[in-house]
Amino acid sequence: MPADTPYLAHHFENLEKQTHAARLGMWLFLATEVLLFTALFAGYGAYRFLYADAFRAASRGLETWIGVVNTIVLVTSSFTVAMGLERQRRGDGRGTLLLFALSFLLAVVFLGFKAVEYSHHFHAGELPGRLYASEHVQGPGGPIFFALYFLITGLHAIHVVIGMTVLAIIGWRAGRGAFTAEYHVPVELAGLYWHLVDLIWIFVFPLIYLI
Amino acid sequence: MPASGNVSRVEHDRLQHHSHVGRYVVVWGALLVLTIATYLIAKIHIAGGLAIVVALVIATAKGALVALFFMHLWDQRGANRLVFVTSLVFVALLIGLTVADYATRFPLANPPGSEGALPAPDYDPPPSARTH
Repeated sequence: MPADTPYLAHHFENLEKQTHAARLGMWLFLATEVLLFTALFAGYGAYRFLYADAFRAASRGLETWIGVVNTIVLVTSSFTVAMGLERQRRGDGRGTLLLFALSFLLAVVFLGFKAVEYSHHFHAGELPGRLYASEHVQGPGGPIFFALYFLITGLHAIHVVIGMTVLAIIGWRAGRGAFTAEYHVPVELAGLYWHLVDLIWIFVFPLIYLI
Repeated sequence: MPASGNVSRVEHDRLQHHSHVGRYVVVWGALLVLTIATYLIAKIHIAGGLAIVVALVIATAKGALVALFFMHLWDQRGANRLVFVTSLVFVALLIGLTVADYATRFPLANPPGSEGALPAPDYDPPPSARTH
């Protein structure tokens, strides 16, 4: 690898080592993200044991089809991000921009469905803790379910918004030819973040909607 | 790619031949099929605690597909895999120990109103904690 490539930071011997360091750093960050959500999942597990019937009833009250559609939307956006990285590997930055833009639009669809769901919960009084005003589930289980529901899906939605920002910035730069077939680490790492958002939703979906 | 004596086998493979398009399409199709499958299975309402096991097994399969192929852990070097697997060990510890605690509790230790808790006739929640 020539040492005069403009992408090589001076403290790295060559581009390959720089790429591996960047990837490893991203994986370390993703590991902390996994553990962040794991804390919420553990809380869900504990309360599901204590209030199994209430959790089941509250979960049945959700619109399962929205969860299914959102899963399909997010999985598809992950696929288009992967295809975007493939375009950049061939040096086609404009293709990356198009595919990342498509992923961005799919993320907008995802958040749109989420907004429909949230407004339904607000109107039905299905809110966390003492704000819970629905007659649907009696006892303390209902408010606890919706506290966890809003924490988990809300934190995930924040990650979707951050991921959309990353995709927009990196996609835009790729479209302007900032990366090449040899050097596309930012495109790869942006993709990794988006796949993690998808990965977490894959576990949120059955826990919230199916059981 | 200029010649370099230090290019790893994986990097070499990736740059030399095969595009990943076919692999991505197959994984995408599998993820869609599994999503529909887990939805249909959930609609049947399997009795007992089996439903949650089936749903989580399917979710784990989908997650593995995403991590291995979309996130390229399949053809990456050991350090990145090690980081991810280490995080999964802590996921198992945190969720496993927490759930094991609640699964094996003496019912009296559970809060009133929860599954398996003994009735607490003298328990009167403060008005602020009352939900109805």
